[in-house]
Amino acid sequence: MAKRLLDFRDATALAGIGYTSFSKDSGVSTLTLACRAIMSALDDAGLGPDDVDGIATHRVGDSAAPSLVGPALGIHAPAWHLDQFGGGSVSHAIVGQAALAVAAGIADVVVCYRAINARSEFRMGSAPNPSPETQYLAPYGYGAPVQQFAMYARTHMLKYGTKAEHFGQVAVAQRAYAARNPRALMRRPITMSDYLASRPIAEPLRLLDCCLETDGAVAVVVTTAERARDLRRPPVLISGAAWGGGDSFLSPGEPTVTAAAALAPRLYGMAGVGPADIDVAELYDCFTYSVIVQLEDYGFCAKGEGGPFAASGEGPPVNTHGGFLSEGYVHGLNHVAEAVSQLRGDAGERQVAGAEVALSTAQPGHILPATSALILRRG
Amino acid sequence: MDRDSAEWWELVAKGVLAVQRCDSCGLARFPARAFCAACRTEGWSWARLAPLGVVESWIVSHWRAPEPFTVVRVRPAEAPGCVMYGTWRGEREPRQGERVVPLFTDQPSIEWRPADASGSDA
Ligand SMILES: [Zn+2]
Repeated sequence: MAKRLLDFRDATALAGIGYTSFSKDSGVSTLTLACRAIMSALDDAGLGPDDVDGIATHRVGDSAAPSLVGPALGIHAPAWHLDQFGGGSVSHAIVGQAALAVAAGIADVVVCYRAINARSEFRMGSAPNPSPETQYLAPYGYGAPVQQFAMYARTHMLKYGTKAEHFGQVAVAQRAYAARNPRALMRRPITMSDYLASRPIAEPLRLLDCCLETDGAVAVVVTTAERARDLRRPPVLISGAAWGGGDSFLSPGEPTVTAAAALAPRLYGMAGVGPADIDVAELYDCFTYSVIVQLEDYGFCAKGEGGPFAASGEGPPVNTHGGFLSEGYVHGLNHVAEAVSQLRGDAGERQVAGAEVALSTAQPGHILPATSALILRRG
Repeated sequence: MDRDSAEWWELVAKGVLAVQRCDSCGLARFPARAFCAACRTEGWSWARLAPLGVVESWIVSHWRAPEPFTVVRVRPAEAPGCVMYGTWRGEREPRQGERVVPLFTDQPSIEWRPADASGSDA
């Protein structure tokens, strides 16, 4: 392990998390959502806007830029900012890059936010995608995330015998967690019968395989581990942060392997842990299938066994907030924030006893050929 | 369509299934790109392929459409390292590994139908 990587391990921390309420219609702008989530996260940390010298977000032309958010909160001349183009595959990369900026001494307190009106204003699959690759999909009415994940889910079913009931168990288990999460949009428990009876969206995926289009925002505060120890909340250390590439929907690679498979060894190596050390996993769940494929690609089970493994309940608790399927879809930062809650021990009725190490992941790289992830540790 | 792909679409409009072939190492590549990802050289020629593909996967999409429709993921028989998509034109659901032939539309676009004549279960 390179010394510089060892220096990065646990050098920075998440000192605060903040939320707006989640809804189907926020009634306010993404700029307002961003400001509210940031103020909430700073308050959680015991900090204020005058302490902030870095701002980061990711977006796909659907949200307020850091260059709007900074002035709106009176954060003048920040030392560092990041306006990352991209969706769920880079949600965790912005936190990792903030940690790099802090570890390098370029910034001291960075707020990372994601604000979306994903139901009332900018519905996924509606906005034009600037990638030239979409020209090969659009003539067929194909290309929406649910369609692309359905194609991969079918491939996995054909190759490994993965069943609808395996997907269903992911949906049922996450709803059970959401029932214990006051923030969650969907808290009424569901059964396998409910799952199987839900209407097809893009076969083999059903309505209850899909995330909830949500209006809301989440923010997290990144600072040095040293400074975080003096703040209001117990620090959560950033032990590993990784991002990188894989194959796109037009690449010839094996379609049941995501970019996460290449990233996972780097991430674990950076943090000095392995899959067996993960106490809680908040895995990007735009669709149930993405949980199953990540259980494989992050090494919790062998390739092809993700379906039965997920249904068995083996491995760490997954998506303890209910995930995008039941808490709400804030594009990845709500998974980071939940991991922080679990490691601080303040997750209430859904607390995983003794959680010390968490994995949180971004979209595993099926749509844009890249992903990102974090390993966090109780400070 | 972008500048890299314009010639490919012109071939589709003429009813030709083609991919690029690297002049240096022979690798078949799609979609159209200036550089070979294997040997990183620029020289290439169009390779006309037999009008035949193999079904890898498919979906039946109900998403924001009045009627469900099926989209297939296909690998050209003569360029199995390349992936293409298209609307399914069969009477029944596709089958994994089945052979399909392209239908060239005026749009232009490529759709796929079963290579067996009927495309039905009969
Ligand atoms: Zn070549």
